[in-house]
Amino acid sequence: MKGGLEAVFLENRMTLLRFLRARGAGDAAEDFLQEVWIKASAGASGPIAEPLAYLYRTANNVMLDRRRAEVRATRRDTAWSEMAGDTAPAQSETQLIARERLAAVETVLAALGDRTDAIFRRYRLDGVSQRDVAAEFGISLSAVEKHLQKAYRALADLRERLDAE
Amino acid sequence: MAYVTDEIRDAAAAWHVRLGGDAASADWAAFTAWLEADPAHAQAYDLVAVADAELDDLPLTPAPPTPAYAEPRRPSRRAFLGWGGAAIAAAAVGAITLMPAGGTYEIVTAPGERRVIALDEGSRIEINGDSRLVLDRGDARFARVERGEALFTVVHDDARPFRVEAGAARLIDLGTIFNVIQDGDRTEVAVSEGEVEWRRANARVNLTPGMALSQRGTEDPVVTRPAIESIGGWREGRLSYSAARYDAVAADLSRNLGARVSLDDAAAARRFSGVIVIDRDPGVTLDRAGALLELGARREGDGWRLTVERGARR
Repeated sequence: MKGGLEAVFLENRMTLLRFLRARGAGDAAEDFLQEVWIKASAGASGPIAEPLAYLYRTANNVMLDRRRAEVRATRRDTAWSEMAGDTAPAQSETQLIARERLAAVETVLAALGDRTDAIFRRYRLDGVSQRDVAAEFGISLSAVEKHLQKAYRALADLRERLDAE
Repeated sequence: MAYVTDEIRDAAAAWHVRLGGDAASADWAAFTAWLEADPAHAQAYDLVAVADAELDDLPLTPAPPTPAYAEPRRPSRRAFLGWGGAAIAAAAVGAITLMPAGGTYEIVTAPGERRVIALDEGSRIEINGDSRLVLDRGDARFARVERGEALFTVVHDDARPFRVEAGAARLIDLGTIFNVIQDGDRTEVAVSEGEVEWRRANARVNLTPGMALSQRGTEDPVVTRPAIESIGGWREGRLSYSAARYDAVAADLSRNLGARVSLDDAAAARRFSGVIVIDRDPGVTLDRAGALLELGARREGDGWRLTVERGARR
């Protein structure tokens, strides 16, 4: 089954490179593509229903991981320079920030109303698929998408606000 | 920096939702085109995706089970009773201890040891070091993880779901590859393929690929989303974490290194996100882990200690 995935990967190299560049990979796109293959082949131990979609998703995650690493590095630098002289990068500081973020996220979700809040948690925290959430709440898939879109929009706005502080 | 309008932000959130659903390759191609259309698009999407991923670092609670939407899902049939006969074509050699009663037997691995058990119909269990599993000779679709860690690759059979017990939890496979850790009063399950139903008392959670559930003592379960390729990464010597408690990380290190790794109590509840790559040399691994965890590492008896005194080295 790895052979099948590899064939799809090789056939779609250019497509995936284009995607990686669109996601901001720049000149390093070839390197990221290597990483995509390593992760995709390591993660695929059974048959994959839609191999190309799976490769796209892996590529998307690789770029997300890189972006997150950049964010962490920036935060760490800021934390270090703000606490010049202190030797430990104070875990408690990080935990304090996490608590504040948690409270802010809870507030934002609550402000969206019970239904959106519940649908979002069901999907994102309980990990119920969008289709199954729709069935549970007795609404259409596109209605679920609307609720989730609203929640993600609010969370992205919150993150931007917190980061600007 | 491109200017990101409200419309672009809404569109980015919509894309993120669509890609989190059953996105086909055509959706991804359309997404590529959308990203290419305007640099502000990629910027807005990054913001949503990172905001979403960062939720993993926060101990948010799953949806409260209100009657409005949380009817417990019942298995459609009483499937768990009385089949047997399927023998275990065990590929295991070594410490298989027969237990006095019934058809069950124990498989114990030493710290640092690995073992693969082949069950019938192509299912198998990969067992990490310092672990104890109980299997049933009369029932090849059952396993109990008494201690340690195991990765299950289960060929699904609707009529005979594979069941795993770990601590007070019951796991029912719905067609699957999943990893189980049982460490003291902590149970952790991570699903890399298919679906697993986690049950404890009256609570049930369905876990789909990329989800992990961790539950300790009598606390509520916490669901996270580790990178899917990281699940069972111990087999390749990679331990991946997303906001994992340090004591869990130390337990993993002990299991994988074959040397006891203890941890200062003061650091037990700290949280770590990242990847620790296991080296054949425990000293190298501990130095690496120490640097990542921002702890010192020193020898202690036969094992190692991770300590909050940063300067401490071998």
